[in-house]
Amino acid sequence: MALYNDQGIVLRSYPFGEADKVVIILSPNRGKLRTVAKGVRKTKSRFGGRLETLTHVDLVLYEGKNLDMITQVSIIEAFPTLRQDLDRVVAAGTMIEVADFVAQEDEPTLRLFLLLQRGLRALDGGDVHPDLLTGYLLKAAEIIGVAPALTHCAGCGATDGLTRFSFAAGGVLCDRCRTPGSYALREGLTGYLAAIATSDLSALPEPDLSMSRESLGVTRRFLEYHLERGLDSMALLDA
Amino acid sequence: MFEPPVQRLVDELARLPGIGRKSAQRLAFHLLNAEETDAVRLADAITSMRREVRLCTRCFNVTAEEECSICRDLRRDTSIVCVVERAQDIPVIEKTGEFSGRYHVLGGAISPIEGIGPDQLRARELLDRIDAENITEVIVAANPTLEGDATAMFLARMLKPLGVKVTRLASGLPVGGDLDYADEITLGRALSGRKEL
Repeated sequence: MALYNDQGIVLRSYPFGEADKVVIILSPNRGKLRTVAKGVRKTKSRFGGRLETLTHVDLVLYEGKNLDMITQVSIIEAFPTLRQDLDRVVAAGTMIEVADFVAQEDEPTLRLFLLLQRGLRALDGGDVHPDLLTGYLLKAAEIIGVAPALTHCAGCGATDGLTRFSFAAGGVLCDRCRTPGSYALREGLTGYLAAIATSDLSALPEPDLSMSRESLGVTRRFLEYHLERGLDSMALLDA
Repeated sequence: MFEPPVQRLVDELARLPGIGRKSAQRLAFHLLNAEETDAVRLADAITSMRREVRLCTRCFNVTAEEECSICRDLRRDTSIVCVVERAQDIPVIEKTGEFSGRYHVLGGAISPIEGIGPDQLRARELLDRIDAENITEVIVAANPTLEGDATAMFLARMLKPLGVKVTRLASGLPVGGDLDYADEITLGRALSGRKEL
Protein backbone atom coordinates (compact mmCIF):
# COMPACT_ATOMS: atom_id res chain seq x y z
CA MET A 1 0.00 0.00 0.00
CA ALA A 2 1.65 3.22 -1.09
CA LEU A 3 1.13 6.56 -2.71
CA TYR A 4 2.14 6.91 -6.32
CA ASN A 5 1.97 9.53 -9.06
CA ASP A 6 0.56 8.96 -12.51
CA GLN A 7 -1.27 10.74 -15.28
CA GLY A 8 -3.99 9.76 -17.69
CA ILE A 9 -7.13 10.59 -19.62
CA VAL A 10 -10.46 10.01 -17.89
CA LEU A 11 -12.34 7.45 -19.99
CA ARG A 12 -15.55 7.23 -17.98
CA SER A 13 -16.93 7.14 -14.48
CA TYR A 14 -19.93 5.84 -12.68
CA PRO A 15 -21.56 6.52 -9.31
CA PHE A 16 -20.28 4.48 -6.40
CA GLY A 17 -21.77 4.57 -2.90
CA GLU A 18 -23.33 7.73 -1.51
CA ALA A 19 -21.26 10.45 -3.18
CA ASP A 20 -18.26 8.69 -4.71
CA LYS A 21 -17.42 7.69 -8.24
CA VAL A 22 -15.40 4.91 -9.79
CA VAL A 23 -13.23 6.67 -12.38
CA ILE A 24 -11.66 4.68 -15.21
CA ILE A 25 -8.46 6.32 -16.46
CA LEU A 26 -6.15 5.47 -19.36
CA SER A 27 -2.60 5.83 -18.10
CA PRO A 28 0.37 5.56 -20.46
CA ASN A 29 2.34 3.78 -17.73
CA ARG A 30 -0.19 1.42 -16.16
CA GLY A 31 -2.84 0.93 -18.81
CA LYS A 32 -6.40 1.08 -17.59
CA LEU A 33 -6.59 2.36 -14.03
CA ARG A 34 -9.69 1.66 -11.96
CA THR A 35 -9.80 4.30 -9.27
CA VAL A 36 -12.22 5.70 -6.73
CA ALA A 37 -12.75 9.40 -6.09
CA LYS A 38 -14.32 10.02 -2.69
CA GLY A 39 -17.07 12.62 -2.44
CA VAL A 40 -16.65 13.75 -6.06
CA ARG A 41 -20.41 13.97 -6.66
CA LYS A 42 -20.86 16.58 -3.94
CA THR A 43 -21.01 20.16 -5.23
CA LYS A 44 -18.25 21.21 -2.84
CA SER A 45 -15.93 18.33 -3.70
CA ARG A 46 -12.27 19.38 -3.78
CA PHE A 47 -11.94 17.49 -7.06
CA GLY A 48 -14.60 19.67 -8.74
CA GLY A 49 -14.79 19.09 -12.46
CA ARG A 50 -11.25 17.80 -12.72
CA LEU A 51 -12.32 14.17 -13.07
CA GLU A 52 -14.86 14.70 -15.84
CA THR A 53 -14.65 12.33 -18.80
CA LEU A 54 -12.20 13.46 -21.52
CA THR A 55 -9.88 15.31 -19.16
CA HIS A 56 -6.14 14.67 -19.15
CA VAL A 57 -5.13 14.78 -15.50
CA ASP A 58 -2.12 14.46 -13.25
CA LEU A 59 -2.87 12.25 -10.25
CA VAL A 60 -1.67 11.20 -6.85
CA LEU A 61 -3.17 7.85 -5.92
CA TYR A 62 -3.23 5.64 -2.89
CA GLU A 63 -2.90 1.97 -3.77
CA GLY A 64 -5.94 0.03 -2.61
CA LYS A 65 -6.87 -3.64 -2.50
CA ASN A 66 -9.32 -3.40 -5.41
CA LEU A 67 -9.51 0.22 -6.45
CA ASP A 68 -6.79 2.85 -6.06
CA MET A 69 -7.99 6.00 -4.30
CA ILE A 70 -7.40 9.40 -5.88
CA THR A 71 -5.98 11.78 -3.30
CA GLN A 72 -4.92 14.71 -5.53
CA VAL A 73 -5.72 15.70 -9.07
CA SER A 74 -4.80 18.57 -11.35
CA ILE A 75 -5.72 19.20 -14.97
CA ILE A 76 -3.08 18.90 -17.68
CA GLU A 77 -5.46 19.42 -20.63
CA ALA A 78 -9.25 19.86 -20.50
CA PHE A 79 -10.18 20.02 -24.24
CA PRO A 80 -12.73 22.83 -23.64
CA THR A 81 -13.69 23.48 -27.29
CA LEU A 82 -14.50 19.81 -27.89
CA ARG A 83 -17.05 19.83 -25.03
CA GLN A 84 -19.11 22.59 -26.58
CA ASP A 85 -20.04 20.76 -29.78
CA LEU A 86 -22.32 17.72 -29.87
CA ASP A 87 -20.77 16.17 -33.00
CA ARG A 88 -17.27 16.44 -31.54
CA VAL A 89 -18.43 14.93 -28.24
CA VAL A 90 -19.99 12.00 -30.11
CA ALA A 91 -16.75 11.44 -32.09
CA ALA A 92 -14.76 11.66 -28.85
CA GLY A 93 -17.15 9.08 -27.41
CA THR A 94 -16.12 6.61 -30.11
CA MET A 95 -12.42 7.29 -29.49
CA ILE A 96 -12.93 6.70 -25.77
CA GLU A 97 -15.00 3.54 -26.32
CA VAL A 98 -12.29 1.95 -28.47
CA ALA A 99 -9.51 2.90 -26.04
CA ASP A 100 -11.54 1.63 -23.10
CA PHE A 101 -12.21 -1.72 -24.76
CA VAL A 102 -8.67 -2.28 -25.97
CA ALA A 103 -6.66 -1.16 -22.91
CA GLN A 104 -5.95 -3.66 -20.17
CA GLU A 105 -5.14 -3.10 -16.53
CA ASP A 106 -1.44 -3.22 -15.56
CA GLU A 107 -0.30 -3.13 -19.19
CA PRO A 108 1.50 0.04 -20.30
CA THR A 109 -0.30 1.57 -23.27
CA LEU A 110 1.82 4.51 -24.36
CA ARG A 111 0.88 4.24 -28.06
CA LEU A 112 -2.84 3.99 -27.35
CA PHE A 113 -2.61 6.87 -24.87
CA LEU A 114 -0.79 9.08 -27.39
CA LEU A 115 -3.30 8.16 -30.09
CA LEU A 116 -6.22 9.13 -27.86
CA GLN A 117 -4.47 12.34 -26.81
CA ARG A 118 -3.82 13.29 -30.46
CA GLY A 119 -7.38 12.40 -31.43
CA LEU A 120 -8.86 14.56 -28.69
CA ARG A 121 -6.49 17.42 -29.54
CA ALA A 122 -7.59 17.27 -33.18
CA LEU A 123 -11.24 17.38 -32.06
CA ASP A 124 -10.47 20.31 -29.78
CA GLY A 125 -8.90 22.40 -32.56
CA GLY A 126 -10.50 24.44 -35.33
CA ASP A 127 -12.41 22.65 -38.09
CA VAL A 128 -12.57 18.91 -37.61
CA HIS A 129 -11.25 16.89 -40.56
CA PRO A 130 -14.04 14.66 -41.98
CA ASP A 131 -11.70 11.64 -41.90
CA LEU A 132 -10.40 12.16 -38.37
CA LEU A 133 -12.43 9.31 -36.86
CA THR A 134 -11.50 6.99 -39.73
CA GLY A 135 -7.84 7.81 -39.13
CA TYR A 136 -8.23 7.17 -35.41
CA LEU A 137 -9.89 3.79 -35.96
CA LEU A 138 -7.25 2.71 -38.51
CA LYS A 139 -4.46 3.62 -36.11
CA ALA A 140 -6.23 1.88 -33.23
CA ALA A 141 -6.45 -1.24 -35.43
CA GLU A 142 -2.72 -1.02 -36.03
CA ILE A 143 -1.98 -0.77 -32.29
CA ILE A 144 -4.18 -3.80 -31.58
CA GLY A 145 -2.37 -5.68 -34.33
CA VAL A 146 -5.21 -5.98 -36.82
CA ALA A 147 -4.35 -3.16 -39.23
CA PRO A 148 -6.05 -3.89 -42.56
CA ALA A 149 -3.82 -4.63 -45.55
CA LEU A 150 -4.59 -1.73 -47.92
CA THR A 151 -1.68 -1.54 -50.35
CA HIS A 152 -1.08 -5.25 -50.95
CA CYS A 153 -3.18 -8.40 -51.09
CA ALA A 154 -3.76 -9.80 -47.60
CA GLY A 155 -3.49 -13.31 -49.09
CA CYS A 156 -0.42 -13.29 -51.38
CA GLY A 157 1.11 -9.83 -51.06
CA ALA A 158 0.41 -8.86 -54.70
CA THR A 159 0.16 -5.13 -55.26
CA ASP A 160 -2.11 -5.04 -58.33
CA GLY A 161 -5.56 -6.25 -59.17
CA LEU A 162 -6.75 -5.49 -55.65
CA THR A 163 -10.46 -5.56 -56.28
CA ARG A 164 -12.00 -7.21 -53.24
CA PHE A 165 -12.10 -6.50 -49.52
CA SER A 166 -12.55 -9.05 -46.77
CA PHE A 167 -12.89 -8.47 -43.03
CA ALA A 168 -11.94 -12.06 -42.22
CA ALA A 169 -8.89 -12.10 -44.52
CA GLY A 170 -7.68 -8.81 -43.05
CA GLY A 171 -7.91 -6.32 -45.89
CA VAL A 172 -7.81 -6.10 -49.67
CA LEU A 173 -7.52 -9.21 -51.83
CA CYS A 174 -6.47 -9.76 -55.42
CA ASP A 175 -8.70 -11.66 -57.85
CA ARG A 176 -6.76 -14.86 -57.28
CA CYS A 177 -7.14 -14.77 -53.48
CA ARG A 178 -10.74 -13.61 -53.37
CA THR A 179 -12.77 -15.54 -50.82
CA PRO A 180 -16.52 -16.06 -50.49
CA GLY A 181 -17.93 -13.14 -48.55
CA SER A 182 -15.32 -10.68 -49.82
CA TYR A 183 -16.84 -7.77 -51.65
CA ALA A 184 -15.91 -5.11 -54.16
CA LEU A 185 -14.99 -1.70 -52.85
CA ARG A 186 -15.57 1.36 -54.96
CA GLU A 187 -12.61 2.39 -57.03
CA GLY A 188 -10.00 4.44 -55.21
CA LEU A 189 -11.31 3.67 -51.74
CA THR A 190 -8.41 1.46 -50.62
CA GLY A 191 -5.90 4.09 -51.78
CA TYR A 192 -7.90 6.71 -49.92
CA LEU A 193 -7.89 4.59 -46.75
CA ALA A 194 -4.16 3.84 -47.13
CA ALA A 195 -3.38 7.57 -47.35
CA ILE A 196 -5.37 8.19 -44.16
CA ALA A 197 -3.74 5.24 -42.35
CA THR A 198 -0.23 6.49 -43.03
CA SER A 199 -0.85 10.14 -42.09
CA ASP A 200 -0.64 11.76 -38.71
CA LEU A 201 -4.03 12.71 -37.25
CA SER A 202 -3.01 16.36 -37.32
CA ALA A 203 -1.98 16.21 -41.00
CA LEU A 204 -4.56 14.05 -42.74
CA PRO A 205 -4.72 14.23 -46.57
CA GLU A 206 -7.13 16.53 -48.40
CA PRO A 207 -10.62 15.08 -47.77
CA ASP A 208 -12.87 13.79 -50.53
CA LEU A 209 -16.38 14.03 -49.12
CA SER A 210 -17.70 11.46 -51.58
CA MET A 211 -15.28 8.91 -50.03
CA SER A 212 -15.40 9.94 -46.36
CA ARG A 213 -18.68 8.30 -45.39
CA GLU A 214 -17.89 4.96 -46.99
CA SER A 215 -14.34 4.88 -45.67
CA LEU A 216 -15.61 5.40 -42.12
CA GLY A 217 -18.25 2.69 -42.63
CA VAL A 218 -15.73 0.13 -43.90
CA THR A 219 -13.21 0.95 -41.17
CA ARG A 220 -15.86 0.75 -38.48
CA ARG A 221 -17.15 -2.63 -39.64
CA PHE A 222 -13.60 -3.93 -40.02
CA LEU A 223 -12.74 -2.96 -36.44
CA GLU A 224 -16.06 -4.27 -35.10
CA TYR A 225 -15.40 -7.60 -36.81
CA HIS A 226 -11.98 -7.95 -35.20
CA LEU A 227 -13.02 -6.63 -31.79
CA GLU A 228 -15.98 -9.04 -31.94
CA ARG A 229 -18.34 -6.34 -30.69
CA GLY A 230 -20.26 -3.38 -32.02
CA LEU A 231 -19.20 0.17 -31.28
CA ASP A 232 -22.21 1.47 -29.32
CA SER A 233 -21.15 5.10 -29.52
CA MET A 234 -21.23 5.03 -33.32
CA ALA A 235 -24.96 4.43 -33.19
CA LEU A 236 -25.21 8.09 -32.18
CA LEU A 237 -23.30 9.11 -35.31
CA ASP A 238 -25.92 7.27 -37.37
CA ALA A 239 -28.78 9.00 -35.52
CA MET B 1 -26.82 -18.68 8.43
CA PHE B 2 -29.81 -17.54 10.45
CA GLU B 3 -33.23 -19.13 10.78
CA PRO B 4 -34.95 -19.08 7.35
CA PRO B 5 -37.36 -16.12 7.98
CA VAL B 6 -34.48 -13.93 9.25
CA GLN B 7 -32.11 -15.08 6.53
CA ARG B 8 -34.71 -14.30 3.88
CA LEU B 9 -35.00 -10.71 5.12
CA VAL B 10 -31.20 -10.35 5.35
CA ASP B 11 -30.87 -11.59 1.76
CA GLU B 12 -33.52 -9.16 0.51
CA LEU B 13 -32.05 -6.18 2.36
CA ALA B 14 -28.56 -7.01 1.09
CA ARG B 15 -29.83 -6.62 -2.47
CA LEU B 16 -30.52 -2.91 -1.87
CA PRO B 17 -27.96 -0.40 -3.17
CA GLY B 18 -25.31 0.54 -0.63
CA ILE B 19 -26.35 -2.19 1.84
CA GLY B 20 -23.75 -4.84 2.53
CA ARG B 21 -24.32 -8.14 4.35
CA LYS B 22 -23.34 -6.73 7.73
CA SER B 23 -25.69 -3.73 7.41
CA ALA B 24 -28.45 -6.05 6.20
CA GLN B 25 -28.04 -8.19 9.32
CA ARG B 26 -28.10 -5.11 11.56
CA LEU B 27 -31.30 -3.83 9.92
CA ALA B 28 -32.97 -7.24 10.09
CA PHE B 29 -32.22 -7.61 13.80
CA HIS B 30 -33.34 -4.04 14.43
CA LEU B 31 -36.69 -4.88 12.86
CA LEU B 32 -36.85 -8.13 14.82
CA ASN B 33 -36.36 -6.31 18.09
CA ALA B 34 -38.58 -3.33 17.23
CA GLU B 35 -42.33 -3.12 17.96
CA GLU B 36 -44.29 -5.30 15.57
CA THR B 37 -46.31 -2.26 14.43
CA ASP B 38 -43.10 -0.55 13.27
CA ALA B 39 -42.19 -3.52 11.08
CA VAL B 40 -45.72 -3.77 9.69
CA ARG B 41 -45.73 -0.03 8.93
CA LEU B 42 -42.48 -0.37 6.99
CA ALA B 43 -43.77 -3.38 5.06
CA ASP B 44 -46.99 -1.54 4.30
CA ALA B 45 -45.12 1.58 3.12
CA ILE B 46 -43.10 -0.53 0.69
CA THR B 47 -46.04 -2.47 -0.73
CA SER B 48 -48.35 0.55 -1.04
CA MET B 49 -45.60 2.56 -2.78
CA ARG B 50 -45.14 -0.23 -5.30
CA ARG B 51 -48.89 -0.61 -5.76
CA GLU B 52 -49.91 3.04 -5.97
CA VAL B 53 -47.02 4.93 -7.51
CA ARG B 54 -46.76 5.29 -11.27
CA LEU B 55 -45.39 7.83 -13.75
CA CYS B 56 -47.18 11.10 -14.48
CA THR B 57 -48.65 10.86 -17.97
CA ARG B 58 -47.48 14.40 -18.76
CA CYS B 59 -44.03 14.85 -17.22
CA PHE B 60 -43.05 11.31 -16.08
CA ASN B 61 -42.55 12.39 -12.47
CA VAL B 62 -43.59 9.75 -9.92
CA THR B 63 -47.18 10.16 -8.79
CA ALA B 64 -50.08 8.31 -7.23
CA GLU B 65 -52.57 9.95 -9.63
CA GLU B 66 -52.92 10.18 -13.40
CA GLU B 67 -50.87 13.40 -13.31
CA CYS B 68 -48.41 14.52 -10.62
CA SER B 69 -49.27 17.29 -8.15
CA ILE B 70 -47.05 19.78 -10.01
CA CYS B 71 -48.78 19.21 -13.37
CA ARG B 72 -52.20 19.46 -11.68
CA ASP B 73 -51.33 22.73 -9.93
CA LEU B 74 -53.17 25.47 -11.85
CA ARG B 75 -50.95 28.22 -10.39
CA ARG B 76 -47.84 26.88 -12.18
CA ASP B 77 -46.53 28.62 -15.29
CA THR B 78 -47.26 26.16 -18.10
CA SER B 79 -45.10 27.95 -20.67
CA ILE B 80 -41.79 27.03 -18.98
CA VAL B 81 -40.56 23.47 -18.60
CA CYS B 82 -37.54 22.37 -16.61
CA VAL B 83 -35.97 19.20 -18.01
CA VAL B 84 -34.33 16.91 -15.44
CA GLU B 85 -32.57 13.56 -15.80
CA ARG B 86 -34.36 11.78 -12.95
CA ALA B 87 -37.53 12.28 -10.91
CA GLN B 88 -35.33 12.61 -7.78
CA ASP B 89 -33.99 15.91 -9.17
CA ILE B 90 -37.44 17.59 -9.00
CA PRO B 91 -37.65 18.03 -5.19
CA VAL B 92 -34.14 19.53 -5.22
CA ILE B 93 -35.21 22.25 -7.65
CA GLU B 94 -38.56 22.70 -5.88
CA LYS B 95 -36.70 23.36 -2.62
CA THR B 96 -35.04 26.44 -4.14
CA GLY B 97 -38.46 28.10 -4.51
CA GLU B 98 -37.13 29.82 -7.66
CA PHE B 99 -39.00 27.83 -10.28
CA SER B 100 -42.74 27.92 -10.87
CA GLY B 101 -43.07 26.09 -14.18
CA ARG B 102 -43.58 22.41 -14.93
CA TYR B 103 -41.05 19.61 -15.34
CA HIS B 104 -40.12 16.90 -17.81
CA VAL B 105 -38.23 13.82 -16.64
CA LEU B 106 -35.98 12.57 -19.45
CA GLY B 107 -35.08 9.31 -17.75
CA GLY B 108 -31.30 9.71 -18.12
CA ALA B 109 -28.78 11.58 -20.21
CA ILE B 110 -27.25 11.11 -23.63
CA SER B 111 -24.02 9.18 -23.22
CA PRO B 112 -21.79 9.18 -26.30
CA ILE B 113 -19.52 6.60 -24.67
CA GLU B 114 -22.22 4.12 -23.73
CA GLY B 115 -24.19 4.75 -26.90
CA ILE B 116 -27.26 6.06 -25.05
CA GLY B 117 -29.00 8.25 -27.56
CA PRO B 118 -32.16 10.38 -27.59
CA ASP B 119 -34.25 7.36 -28.60
CA GLN B 120 -33.62 5.78 -25.21
CA LEU B 121 -34.76 8.96 -23.44
CA ARG B 122 -38.10 10.77 -23.38
CA ALA B 123 -37.00 13.39 -25.90
CA ARG B 124 -39.80 12.63 -28.36
CA GLU B 125 -42.36 13.09 -25.56
CA LEU B 126 -40.85 16.49 -24.78
CA LEU B 127 -41.12 17.47 -28.42
CA ASP B 128 -44.77 16.47 -28.42
CA ARG B 129 -45.42 18.70 -25.39
CA ILE B 130 -43.99 21.85 -27.01
CA ASP B 131 -46.94 22.49 -29.31
CA ALA B 132 -49.58 20.85 -27.16
CA GLU B 133 -48.78 23.05 -24.15
CA ASN B 134 -47.51 26.20 -25.90
CA ILE B 135 -44.13 25.93 -24.21
CA THR B 136 -41.88 28.92 -24.88
CA GLU B 137 -38.85 28.10 -22.71
CA VAL B 138 -37.10 24.87 -21.81
CA ILE B 139 -34.58 24.96 -18.98
CA VAL B 140 -32.15 22.04 -19.20
CA ALA B 141 -31.28 21.02 -15.63
CA ALA B 142 -29.21 17.96 -16.56
CA ASN B 143 -26.11 17.34 -14.43
CA PRO B 144 -23.06 19.48 -15.31
CA THR B 145 -21.23 16.46 -16.73
CA LEU B 146 -20.15 15.55 -20.25
CA GLU B 147 -23.37 13.52 -20.60
CA GLY B 148 -25.53 16.34 -19.22
CA ASP B 149 -23.88 18.84 -21.56
CA ALA B 150 -24.39 16.52 -24.54
CA THR B 151 -28.07 16.21 -23.60
CA ALA B 152 -28.41 19.99 -23.38
CA MET B 153 -26.75 20.46 -26.77
CA PHE B 154 -29.03 17.85 -28.32
CA LEU B 155 -32.19 19.43 -26.86
CA ALA B 156 -31.08 22.88 -28.06
CA ARG B 157 -30.54 21.46 -31.55
CA MET B 158 -33.98 19.82 -31.47
CA LEU B 159 -36.00 22.68 -29.98
CA LYS B 160 -34.42 25.93 -31.19
CA PRO B 161 -35.72 25.57 -34.78
CA LEU B 162 -39.22 25.52 -33.25
CA GLY B 163 -38.64 28.97 -31.78
CA VAL B 164 -38.34 27.65 -28.22
CA LYS B 165 -35.89 29.41 -25.92
CA VAL B 166 -33.51 26.76 -24.55
CA THR B 167 -31.50 27.63 -21.45
CA ARG B 168 -29.07 25.66 -19.29
CA LEU B 169 -28.57 25.93 -15.53
CA ALA B 170 -25.53 28.09 -14.86
CA SER B 171 -22.48 26.31 -13.53
CA GLY B 172 -19.73 27.85 -11.48
CA LEU B 173 -18.53 28.28 -7.93
CA PRO B 174 -20.55 26.77 -5.08
CA VAL B 175 -21.82 29.24 -2.47
CA GLY B 176 -19.46 29.19 0.52
CA GLY B 177 -16.68 27.60 -1.53
CA ASP B 178 -13.10 28.76 -1.78
CA LEU B 179 -11.68 30.14 -5.05
CA ASP B 180 -8.36 28.42 -4.26
CA TYR B 181 -9.93 25.01 -4.67
CA ALA B 182 -11.83 25.73 -7.88
CA ASP B 183 -10.78 23.70 -10.90
CA GLU B 184 -10.08 25.25 -14.30
CA ILE B 185 -13.23 23.94 -15.97
CA THR B 186 -15.58 25.18 -13.24
CA LEU B 187 -13.81 28.52 -12.86
CA GLY B 188 -13.76 28.97 -16.64
CA ARG B 189 -17.51 28.45 -16.77
CA ALA B 190 -18.02 30.79 -13.83
CA LEU B 191 -16.07 33.46 -15.70
CA SER B 192 -17.86 33.02 -19.02
CA GLY B 193 -21.24 33.05 -17.25
CA ARG B 194 -20.43 36.04 -15.01
CA LYS B 195 -23.20 38.52 -14.17
CA GLU B 196 -23.13 42.28 -14.21
CA LEU B 197 -23.81 43.82 -10.79
